[in-house]
Parts: sequence; C-alpha cells; structure tokens
Amino acid sequence: MGHYFLLLGIVAVGVGAFNGIRQASRSASANFGLFNQAVSGQSDFLIESPVQRLLEEDLAKLTRLSKEPDWHLVPVIEGSVTAVKNGSEDKKQLRLIGLDLLALGNLPTLAKEGLKFSDEDANWYDWLGSKNEVWVGQKTADLLEVKQGDSISFLASGRLVKMKIRMILNDPDGNLPDDLVLADLPTVQTLLSRPGELNRVEVVIDQVNRREDTAYLNDIENRLARELPQNLSLAPTQNRAADRAAMTAAFRLNLTILSLIAILVGAYLILQALDAAVVRRRSEIATLRSLGVDGSILFTTYVLEALVLGLFGSVAGVGVGQVLAFGAVGMLSDTVNALYFATSVEALNLTSIDVIVGLVLGIVFSLLAGWLPARDATQTPPAQVLARGDWSPGFSWLRSPVIGLGLLLLGGIALLFPPFVMEAGSNMPVGGFLAAGCWILGAALLSGHVLVLLAGWVRPFCSGPVFRLASSRLRDGSSRHRLAVAGLVVAVSMVTGMFQMIDSFRGTIEEWFDVRFQADLYISESGVTGAGTVNGIDPRLMDELLKDPNIKYADVMRICYAKPPRGVTVLAGVDMKHWSDQARQIWLKAPGSLQAVDGAEPALVSETFARRFGVMAGGVVELGTPDGTKKISPFGIFCDYGNEFGMAAISSDIWSDWTGSDRPINVSLYLRDRAKLLETRDRLRLAYPGLDVRNERELRDVALGIFEQTFKATDALSFIGLAVAFAGLLLGLLSIFDESTQTWQTLKHLGFSTHGFILAAGLEGAGIGVAAWVAGAITGLALGWLLVFVINVQSFGWTLLWTVPVESILWFGLLLTVVGFVSGMIAAIYWNFRR
Amino acid sequence: MFLNENIKDQIKPVALSVADVRKSFGKVDVLKGIDLKIDAGERVALMGPSGSGKSTLLNCICGIEPVDHGSIHVGGQELSGLKRGELEKVRRENMGYVFQSFHLLPTLNAFENVEFAAQLVGMPKEHRLARVTDLLEQVGLSHRMDHLPSALSGGERQRVAIARALVHHPRLVLADEPTGSLDTESGSQVLKLLKSLSEELEVALLLVTHDHESTRICDRVITMKDGALLAG
Ligand SMILES: Nc1ncnc2c1ncn2[C@@H]1O[C@H](COP(=O)(O)OP(=O)(O)O)[C@@H](O)[C@H]1O
Ligand SMILES: [Mg+2]
Repeated sequence: MGHYFLLLGIVAVGVGAFNGIRQASRSASANFGLFNQAVSGQSDFLIESPVQRLLEEDLAKLTRLSKEPDWHLVPVIEGSVTAVKNGSEDKKQLRLIGLDLLALGNLPTLAKEGLKFSDEDANWYDWLGSKNEVWVGQKTADLLEVKQGDSISFLASGRLVKMKIRMILNDPDGNLPDDLVLADLPTVQTLLSRPGELNRVEVVIDQVNRREDTAYLNDIENRLARELPQNLSLAPTQNRAADRAAMTAAFRLNLTILSLIAILVGAYLILQALDAAVVRRRSEIATLRSLGVDGSILFTTYVLEALVLGLFGSVAGVGVGQVLAFGAVGMLSDTVNALYFATSVEALNLTSIDVIVGLVLGIVFSLLAGWLPARDATQTPPAQVLARGDWSPGFSWLRSPVIGLGLLLLGGIALLFPPFVMEAGSNMPVGGFLAAGCWILGAALLSGHVLVLLAGWVRPFCSGPVFRLASSRLRDGSSRHRLAVAGLVVAVSMVTGMFQMIDSFRGTIEEWFDVRFQADLYISESGVTGAGTVNGIDPRLMDELLKDPNIKYADVMRICYAKPPRGVTVLAGVDMKHWSDQARQIWLKAPGSLQAVDGAEPALVSETFARRFGVMAGGVVELGTPDGTKKISPFGIFCDYGNEFGMAAISSDIWSDWTGSDRPINVSLYLRDRAKLLETRDRLRLAYPGLDVRNERELRDVALGIFEQTFKATDALSFIGLAVAFAGLLLGLLSIFDESTQTWQTLKHLGFSTHGFILAAGLEGAGIGVAAWVAGAITGLALGWLLVFVINVQSFGWTLLWTVPVESILWFGLLLTVVGFVSGMIAAIYWNFRR
Repeated sequence: MFLNENIKDQIKPVALSVADVRKSFGKVDVLKGIDLKIDAGERVALMGPSGSGKSTLLNCICGIEPVDHGSIHVGGQELSGLKRGELEKVRRENMGYVFQSFHLLPTLNAFENVEFAAQLVGMPKEHRLARVTDLLEQVGLSHRMDHLPSALSGGERQRVAIARALVHHPRLVLADEPTGSLDTESGSQVLKLLKSLSEELEVALLLVTHDHESTRICDRVITMKDGALLAG
C-alpha cells in the first residue's frame, strides 16, 4: 500500500512540475490584460504604432474617431518606475500607467460600477489637474506601507520625484496587480520624460453588453480601421497579451522543455517502480502462467494499474502544481524582470486547460511507463521454466544496439531542419531540440553496451570474490542493469550539457565584458534592468550631468523599438565615429569589412540582428520607425549578448530624426583624470540619486547577477532531474536485487558474508554510476556542442565560445560513482532487511 | 563424555552432531526434537515424504535457520550463540552445499564458480588454481571450464556444483535432492561422483533423497516423518 502512495507521489510530482512551471511562467510573463480588467472593465481594441510609441500628432489624427458615440478612446502611457520605500533602501520596480482621466470618466463600465477615484470630490472633473498625484491598489499600498495622503518617492527617468497618494483604490476582489501605479496622463509623461508620447490608445465599446456579438464587433472594427491613420494599426486587445507572451516565448519554451524532461524522468521512475512490482511478483506471475492464465489478461491488469496510478497521480499533480507554481512564480518573474520587462506575479490561475493537459500528460506517461513492465509480465515464462535462472524477458530489446544507433543517426539528420520562425520573430530550433531528444534517447539505449564494455575491461583486474562477483554481473549486463544505466544517462547527459552551456555563456559574457566595457563609468536609469524596457533618462538631466569637469568623452546611447517585417527589434542611436574607431567590441565583421548599400542608412548591427534578418554578408533591412519605414544597411557586425531581439546602431542625429526624441538610455563616460574615478562616481551618485552610476566592476557584477538569475530555474530543474534520477537508480537497484534472489540465496549457502553482499552491491551501483557517467558525459559533450552551436545560434542568434568544464565533469563523475556506490549499499541493506 | 562414546567414535571425529533440535514456523512444529550424529567421512541418506522437514533440518545445520531448541555441532563447533559473521565463517569453511536446482552463479563460468568457493576461504592462488583444475578434471569437465552455466547441461551443472561444494576441504557436504532435477543417467553419474569424492576427500555427506537408488552410495539411511527421525 505504501508502495502505491509512493508511485502516486511520483506521478503527482512529475505532473506538478510541468503544470506549476507552465502556470508560473504564464503569469510571470503575460499579465498584461490585467489592468484593463481591473480598471476600465475590458478594452476591446488597441490602437498602436508599430514601434509602440504614439506622438501627439498621431492623437490629433484620431480626433474624428474620438467623437463617435459607439466607442470611447482611452489614451494610455506605460512605463516602469522604481519606488523607494520611505526611510529605507528598499526598492521596488512598479508599472506606471498614465490614463486620460477625462476619457476614463466617460466609460460606461466605470459609470456603472462607480470605481471611486477620490473621496472628497463629488464630480469626476475634480480629478483634473491631479498633478503629482498617483493612485495605487490596496496590495501595492500594503507592500509600500503607505496610506492615502502619504507621499511616495519614485525614481523615474533618472530623477527622484515625490508623489502624493491621492487615493488607495478600492479593490475588494484583489484584482489589481501589486505593482501597479496609476496617474493622470500628463503626470506620467513628465515622470518618464516622454512629453506628448503615448504607448497606445485603448478602445472600449459603448454597448458593453454586445461584446459577444461578433457581427457587431466586426462592424466596429471595420469602422475604426477605415478611419485610422496609415502609420497606426488596430488589433483586438487579446493580441497585445499574445505579443507580450511571444516576446518571452523563447524563455518559456526553455522552461517548458525542462519541465517536460521532469515528466519524462518521472515516467522513468514510474517505469522502474512498476517494473519492480513485476519483478517482485515474478514467481506469482510465473505460477499463473503455468496455470494457463492468458498473457493478455496479465498485460491488461498491469496497464490498468498504470492507468489508475496515472489518473489519481495526475489529479494530485494538479494540486502539487499549484503549490510549485506559487513557489516558482517569484523566481520566474524576477528572471522576466531582469530579461524582458517589468512584470509582477498576479493571476496565478488554474484553467480547465491546465487541468486537462496535466491529466492527459500524467495518464499518457503512466501508460507508457506501465507498458514495458506489462509486456515483461506477459513474457514471463511458466513456473517450471522460470526456476532455471534469473529472468527479465520483456526488456531483452535493450540488448540490441540497432534502435540506439538509429536514433543517433536520426538526430544527426534532424540537424538539417531549418529553425521554425515564431510569431514574434524569434526562432525555435526544432531540429536542434529533436536532435537533442534523439541523441539522449539513443545514448540511453546504447549505454548498456558501455556498461558491458567497461566491465569487460575491468574484469581481468578483479581478483577477490566480491570484486569478481560484481564485475561479472556488470559484464553480463542484464536488461535491468541496462535500464538503470539508461535512466541515469538521461540525467547525466542533460546536466553535463547544461553545465557546458551555462559555462560557455558565462565565459563568453566575461570575455565580452573585458573587451566591450572599457569606459570608466556607466550611467543608466536607476532600478530598470530589463532589456525590453526602453524608458530612458531625461535629456535635460543628461545635459547637466555631462557638464561634469572630469568627463573627457561621453558615449551616449539612445534606443527605441523598431518594427522589422516580423517581430520587434531595437534601434540604437550612437556616436558612429566612436563606435567604429574607438569603442572596443568583439567584431564578427569589423566596421568597413561589409559595404553598406547606397541609399540605406549605414549601421553597425549585432550578430543576433544580422542572423535574424539574414544580413551576415551585408544587405538591407527595412524597419518601421515613428517616422515611417526606413532602410538600414550594416557595414559591421558586433557580438552582443544584451538581448535576443537584436540591435542595429545608427548615428544619433539620424536616430533623433527618425524617432523625434533625444532621450538617452545610458551613457559610458571616459574620464580625464582616472585617478579620481571613485571620487567622480560618488559625486555623480550624490547629485543624481535617480541614476545608477557604476564602474566597470560594478556593471559586470550586475550583468553577471542577471545572468545567474536567468539560469536559476535551469539550475533548479537540473537538480530536480538529478535527484529523481538517483531515486530511479535506487529503485532500479532494488529490482536488480529482486531479480537476483536466487544468486543471493546461493551465496548465503556458500557462506558469503553479508558485508560481502553489501560491498558487492555497492560496487555494482558504482559500476552503474561510472558507466552512466562515461556514456552521459560523451552524450553531454555532444549536447553541449548542440546547445552552443545550434540551439543558441538559432534561437538567440549569438555564438558562444564553447567551454567544456572538464573539472566539473570529472567531479561529477566522482560524485556519480560515490552516489552509485552508496545507492547500491542502501538498496542491498534495505533488500536484506526486507527478506 | 568420552566414557559414553564407543571406540569407533574416538578414532573417527564427529563431523556433525545434532541434539534435540526443535524448530517451528509460527504454530507449525516442523522439527520436533532431532538427534543425529554423522562421523567424519560418513555418508548418510535422509529420506522422508515431502513436507516432513528435511530441507528445514539442512537449513538449520548450515545455520541459515536459527533453531528454537537444542544444539548443533559442526566440526566440534557449537552453532547456537555464534554471531552472524561467525556462522557465515563456519558455513564457508566447514560445509559444502549441493542444491536440487544447481544454483551456480549465472555470471561466472564453471571454473570461476568453483574457484569462488575456494576464494571465500582465502585459499592461496597457486594452490587454488591447481585444486580447481584438478577437481573439474575429476568431475569430467576439464573441457568445459570456461563455459557459463547457461551453456552447460543439467548434469554438467550439478557436477560443477559438486566440485564447488568440495573445493575448500569441507568436513560436511549437505546435498538436498541433488538428483531431483536430473535424468537417471546424469543422476547416477552425479551420485557416483559424490561417493568417490567424499571417500577420497574424507568428507561427511548428508544426502536428502526420495529414491532408494540413491541410498546405495550411503553408509546409513535415516527416515524422517512429521519432523521426527524414525528409529532404525
Ligand atoms: N520459511 C518457512 N516458513 C514457514 N513454514 C515453512 C518454512 N520453511 C518450511 N516451512 C514448512 O515446514 C515444513 C517442512 O518443510 P521442508 O523442510 O521444506 O520439507 P521437505 O524438505 O521435507 O519437503 C513444511 O510444512 C513447510 O510448509
Ligand atoms: Mg525439501
């Protein structure tokens, strides 16, 4: 009975890991729609510019549209600010949303539900002129420890500003995200130094009760589209959430694959456990067989057992998933924050699809896991034949290398597949993932041969009875020994592969830092880290800062989104002369080695950009900018590991012409007197509390911190994978010993000591560990190569320097050997105790 | 003590002596007071219907099953009161065991199976190799030494098992229906070997058997019924 609870637990954890990660990553990266639901009811359409930036003149063009009675236009500006908790160093990144309160007041839903924006004011127009005032939800207020009427400090576009809390929004259902700050449109524009700018205009239909009426909605959409100025586009609101989700698609894909692996390993555990049950009942099954019980009945019994396990286990797994999601969501949202954009951890919601996916996965994998033992049970010979020796007929196919070799070959062929291009323009390396799967599985199947080969080499050197027994058993390579090795190989190869990728990444980034960051001080807006955030620093503030007497040269960088034919990319405005001649980069193609096409703006582009848009050998890319579609042409390609959207750098003047802005994102300073570096840094810090002023060392720490953050989830999952693999090893060893009952009985009669038995079992476990390490490390090297040269290049567009962490791999081998040894002994002691 | 023994006993030391051994599994009394003495080099056949407790007695003698009452001496050493490790030592040094279904170690070849038992008692290598070769020759398997058990016939396996039971110079060999899984031809070959080798090596033999043919190689036949030895 306890045995069944264990199995249920295994299924539950496998399904739970998958579901938890799915939910957590979803809520950590795609909680866009929330504010609409919470504040304005739901908006129906969005009017956007391709670069996610609307200017006042665009708004003017919408005047006619805004007079229609059938809908309401709500202009929205959105950005991030950092709240500084009063009287402490605590900072929290918040989403700042500016709304035209006047427009909001007209919304039918608001009028109906009466969301109050003020206590004392009787009329909505009293809100007007609420300069320097913000509204927050109850949860945000609790988090920041503020009350109505308090003042609150924000770091925004490089300045420290005090705002007054006009009111804490009544939010009894807890719908408002805990990182949301609302303010009047002009207030936010000033705060973010984005005068006259909007992110989008939301459209809310007047007759909200007709939302289900598709014909009506289509009609509205057509009317809106007809009137829309050329450079703006209209999309249903859901698409925007999808866009955002697409931005993090690669990240979430990574997690999904990892969690699928968790399920696979879980399935392997179930297989081992069900198999152990078959082995333990082998003689009973054999007796049934000799009584003439049909094999298909046995098969059905075992498959049914797996089905029941899968069903109950995955029901429990859905619950476990909820718990895991709670735990994981914070970690994941930190990563999304660091990598993409400000996000919060709301909306951890379990949909019926989650439940169904969880159940289906749990049941399918349990059935798959139950199938092999069931087959094994069916193939158990009748009792009289069984008496002859040790048996495991159902797994004899593990002895043939054909399937394994075939899978390796298939993986090689899969590498020829081109990557699949996703919605947001990022690539999914289907072939690479397929190859990884094939290679792991193939290696697992072949690992039994490695075990036999190694044991064969070692055997002549084994003289004592204990060593000789253990090595001969390994050399014999029963199907069950092979199964145990195979399970470990999967875990080992994945972990070694991941190690390599992370190490390669870290090494590459450090190298990149050494070359790229040669300036003395780096200045950026405080608190904002995400590559997907393009807030920036108030230009006036920057001008003032650059007057510092110790500055010799300032490399000012400006960025904004630009719209390539597919997805989104980053367009930067830089000092081209400095970038081409002075600034050090790791150049993939040095400036001038490519010929910029006439009639297009010459640009230096990142490797990611070049790969995404196929201009590694030069050419033209068309980008949508606030000033219309522009052509750029690369004359050099640099390595950049900052973001996966790619970046094209053009001259600052042109950038300002195209974007109508001169707001910088960051600046690198070269000092006259480098001896006074720290002094200058401290002076600037004091003068500009809203800016982060860092030297090279500090910048590197921040970047590496973000890097570690990114791989936290990966690390955690590798660890879980390993733990599960070891549990599998224990179960596998128990099965092995169960299968060898006759051998132990013989040994007992021969006077073989219990110590000897335990030692031999330990050696067997260690042998399995070593074989799994050898096969797993070789596979892991292949996976590392695959991750670095295929998967990373295809999905992120950057080439890493392949680093093989030889030392870690060796230590890992030692660890595996020791763990194998200990597992063997534990299994033997437990086995002995159970007899 | 000497006074009670006859002269023959004084010349030939006792290989096994069992005195008033009782054993029950739960409420079932399986051995109800067994007294048995086997001299060095003596061959005794133990007969009796199945379920009468023969295998249980053998297990008690080799110390795998603890007894509830009574004492067992093997080679002059009392088993009760020994620790598990000491029991294992007595077992591997003083006894050999032959099973009905051979029970060779499936992953070791014939030579290694025999050598294994010799290794367990720490026999020096030179001596060991010579002895194993010699014994396998005596059981007529010098041409099959490097075969795995699965490649041997039933009779051949049992002959390997006999070599294994004798390789370490035990005082006592326990054989539980060693011909039970064999055809008549191989069976009689196995019995012949047991006789000649026990004679040559001066090993006592307790042979559990069902058929009267087998008793012919023995000096004495005892019969067990319902957990007790029948007089005579
Ligand atoms: N481990 C055990 N637990 C319970 N009963 C046992 C055990 N071993 C033997 N028995 C019982 O003891 C009796 C004698 O068995 P056994 O010694 O094997 O008989 P024999 O070898 O003479 O056929 C049988 O009734 C059997 O059921
Ligand atoms: Mg018996």
